[in-house]
Amino acid sequence: MASIKGSRRRGIALHLPLVIGTLVSAFPFYWAVIMSTHSSSEIFSYPPKLLPGTHFLENVRNLFDAVDFFGSMWNSLLVAVSVTFLVLLFDSLAAFVFAKFDFPGKGMLFGLLMVIFMVPAQLSVIPQFVLMAKIGWIGSMTALIVPAAANAFGIFWMRQYMKTAIHDELLDASRLDGANFLRQYWHVALPVVRPGLAFLGIFTFMGQWNDFAWPLIALTNPGNVTLQVALSQLNGTHGTTDYGIVMTGALLALVPLLIVFAVGAKQIIGDLAKGAVRG
Amino acid sequence: MAVLEQTPPAVAQPATARPRTGLRKYWHLYAAISPFYLIFLGFGLFPVGFSLYLSFHRWDGLGSMEWAGLSQYQYLLSDSDFWNSIGNTIIIWALATFPMIFLAMITAVMLNSAVRFKSLYRVAYFLPNVTSVVAIAIVFGSIFSTNAGMVNAVLQAVGIDQVAWLNTPWGIKVTIAALMTWQWTGYNAIIFLAGLQTIPGDLYEAARMDGAGPVQTFFRITLPLLRPTLLFVLVVSTVTGLQSFSEPQVLLQTSSNDSTFAGGPGHSGQTMVLYFFQQTFDNNDFGYGAAVAWGIFLVVVLFSIINWRLVQRRGD
Amino acid sequence: MRLSRRGLLRAGLAGTAATALGGLASGCAVPTGSTGRNMALWYWSGGLSDTVVKNAKARYDGSVDLQAIQIGGQYRSKLITTITGRAHIPDIAGLKGEDMAAYLPNADQFVDLRTLGAEKYRSRYLSWKWDQGIADDGTMVGFPIDCGPVAHYYQYEIFRRAGLPYEPDEVSQELNTWEKFFDAGVRLGKRVPEAKLLTDVNSVFENVVQQGAKRYVDQDRHFIGDQEHVRRAWALAVEAKRRGIVSDLVSGTPDQQSAIQDGKLPSQLNASWASFDIKNGVPKTKGRWRVAQMPVRPANNGGSFLSITKACREPEQAFEIITWILNAANQAQGYVDAGLFPSTPASYALKQMREPDPFFGGQVTTDVFGPAAQKIVVAYNSPFDVALGQPLKDEIKNVGVLGKDPRKAWSDAMSKCRRIAKHLGVSY
Repeated sequence: MASIKGSRRRGIALHLPLVIGTLVSAFPFYWAVIMSTHSSSEIFSYPPKLLPGTHFLENVRNLFDAVDFFGSMWNSLLVAVSVTFLVLLFDSLAAFVFAKFDFPGKGMLFGLLMVIFMVPAQLSVIPQFVLMAKIGWIGSMTALIVPAAANAFGIFWMRQYMKTAIHDELLDASRLDGANFLRQYWHVALPVVRPGLAFLGIFTFMGQWNDFAWPLIALTNPGNVTLQVALSQLNGTHGTTDYGIVMTGALLALVPLLIVFAVGAKQIIGDLAKGAVRG
Repeated sequence: MAVLEQTPPAVAQPATARPRTGLRKYWHLYAAISPFYLIFLGFGLFPVGFSLYLSFHRWDGLGSMEWAGLSQYQYLLSDSDFWNSIGNTIIIWALATFPMIFLAMITAVMLNSAVRFKSLYRVAYFLPNVTSVVAIAIVFGSIFSTNAGMVNAVLQAVGIDQVAWLNTPWGIKVTIAALMTWQWTGYNAIIFLAGLQTIPGDLYEAARMDGAGPVQTFFRITLPLLRPTLLFVLVVSTVTGLQSFSEPQVLLQTSSNDSTFAGGPGHSGQTMVLYFFQQTFDNNDFGYGAAVAWGIFLVVVLFSIINWRLVQRRGD
Repeated sequence: MRLSRRGLLRAGLAGTAATALGGLASGCAVPTGSTGRNMALWYWSGGLSDTVVKNAKARYDGSVDLQAIQIGGQYRSKLITTITGRAHIPDIAGLKGEDMAAYLPNADQFVDLRTLGAEKYRSRYLSWKWDQGIADDGTMVGFPIDCGPVAHYYQYEIFRRAGLPYEPDEVSQELNTWEKFFDAGVRLGKRVPEAKLLTDVNSVFENVVQQGAKRYVDQDRHFIGDQEHVRRAWALAVEAKRRGIVSDLVSGTPDQQSAIQDGKLPSQLNASWASFDIKNGVPKTKGRWRVAQMPVRPANNGGSFLSITKACREPEQAFEIITWILNAANQAQGYVDAGLFPSTPASYALKQMREPDPFFGGQVTTDVFGPAAQKIVVAYNSPFDVALGQPLKDEIKNVGVLGKDPRKAWSDAMSKCRRIAKHLGVSY
């Protein structure tokens, strides 16, 4: 047992770098807050402003005048929640199979998955638009949700996670108890990999929330767009971007993400603690 | 890609099981993995095939297509701008990825042992990954600006000369890499942490009983057991890092007359995907753009395989 | 809060079902631009006056439901995507000036405005601007919105302090050649420490090229970027660097903005629309600015068009709306709202454009931009200009910013152009 003094010294040695890291992580956000509370001209003045200004409310008002903030936020929520749910389901199922079972063609199928992962996304915008137009999905959120419902990244992540997190003895035992595949997935695998799922969920939600390139093309009805598409209309043509308003929009768009993250993070932490006790 | 499968199947099927045809015996497994492949068949295969077809043609995006044979690919091989963009991408990727993985791993190990404020740190470290790249690139453009930027203000305070970050070939690359490192370190730290948490505590207990120090424990136990996670982090960083474009695009976007895809002076920040955009959307050269995209794909695959092998082979 | 798997599943299913239904509902909605009373108009933020668009909506409310849509991000790639995908194509589409060369070879995607009686409006518009909207085969694709006459913006007090001409007329007359313009830059640098006349060498190179009637590729698909008009622009840009009258700043950055505000960058050659950037970017400089004619002759930078796509069901109606939106009175409004300098000379005499501008010390800026707009020469813009102009712009930037040897930069640019020309089927 270490002495109290020793543990305090160890605590400082541990917390000091962590605090510095926290500050470095947070500083650009502070800077964004500064930008969002100033007018565009103040942002460009010298010396740089270090304290928040007084233009925040004005920037918010201008922002709400320029874009349908809450309407498009609702669309973003719809897309992000649906995609996250589908991805969690489909990816974890596939990952469970790739991590813990053997079947003919497994190596080839997983290799194919990784190759698809590496195809540049920019490749496919025009043909994908043609395809979606033929099915009649252009302009609706379905065009964003269905293609994103399962992805190679998530399967790869959950597979790597499940490899170590799910102990083979557990599966063997459940099989001896007569559990079929779905029962094993639901009662053995999922409870153990909850932290991994929470991470994937948060990451998927964020990715969808911030996605921009495809929604911009696919959502042709300006009254029915996602938040990032709406915010992109703030960028003027001749370089007349008002950085104060753009930053305000970016910060406000962050709020739902922070809520999701706060909930999800608790989820990870609770389970990680349990995992540590279980050993 | 046989190298992908090195771990033996955990739930071995009994060898004495009555042989049944594969599909009937394994149908539930195929069904479980099917959504991904069905979605790819439905929405991915046609675009991929189309762009392959496109790469053998000349096309301005609106008019009719003209057969071009292999000429787009021949030009690709001799295109010094494309090779330059490969070099830029790899340098930026390396400048960002190695510090990032190093820092992320240290942070994860520290977070794993620090009990207090753990949740607070976790939120703080994940924050950079939350917001859109576009907004963050604007912020970094402000922080790294030559006269009015914070970074140079700090440098001057400690007696170092100003650096024209966004106006010199290395300054541009370092700034882009700094942005990526900032954005992804915490994210990868959380991934490593998740991996660390799956390592059973009694292994550490045993190591301590054997008298192993913290460093020895790290290299003997933590690192080997973290290998699947490390592999994941490295491959994902490779695939996403080599396809980066919005960071340089927003950072180096200046006046409206400038191409937003040029990547700054000397094309120093022009990544492969930016070059793809420049060919496709500035030059209306959709056929060549498709060929560039396939070039990017090959580079990404090649690099991923190299990384995969490096991590896998260093095994015991 | 603790989420159970069952709860999560339930919540997720409900959400997905809601989305699927929502998707179906919106899938049934009438798609824009193809049926009934709907008429979709695509433009970009700042591309048209919002007031005029709103008025047009009200004015034609009896016959059509005009849906004016501002498209964010990459405007052209989105328009090309919908045209290629043959779905959700707007009836009326804004076309940016710099993209015209790419649209004109595909004139068959647009309604020929001559068939709708455009010819009778011709005399009311700047002739060079009108011609820019017409394809090689004579099809009229674009109807003129604005133009971007380039002028010399300068800060009055700084020029006075440097012993330079400082009244707009004097500046126009005395700095009327590049040689005199550069001399003024040298004197400015001597009298006002740290002050530079221009931001970068590219503003010399590109403005000189844009003053002329030729660009980089001619009508016969032949590369002309190695000819005298480009060599001259190159030499002048190199000269500007050699004489130390350009800064090492990048335009649009905070650094440039603060240099402008501090009077260290008291001058720029820029289009009429840039006055709005200056007003928004450095409002503290209010009253300090004046505009004068740029050296030699005005250049043009930017300026866009409206077109009617083949997807439009009612071209006559669309044409009527276009001609109303772009008449002289509404173009004057466009100048007030969005800094769009009218392509209709009749606008220049209207009250809105004769107001003294306090930002420019009470100067009536139309007196400078109006005559400039009328003196711009017609230039042929090739669809290959962007690809073959880029190496030259890149290399002159390397000379200016990275200090690359000009001779090496020129030969690098030429060898790159030769390669690209061969690839694109442009003769060299």
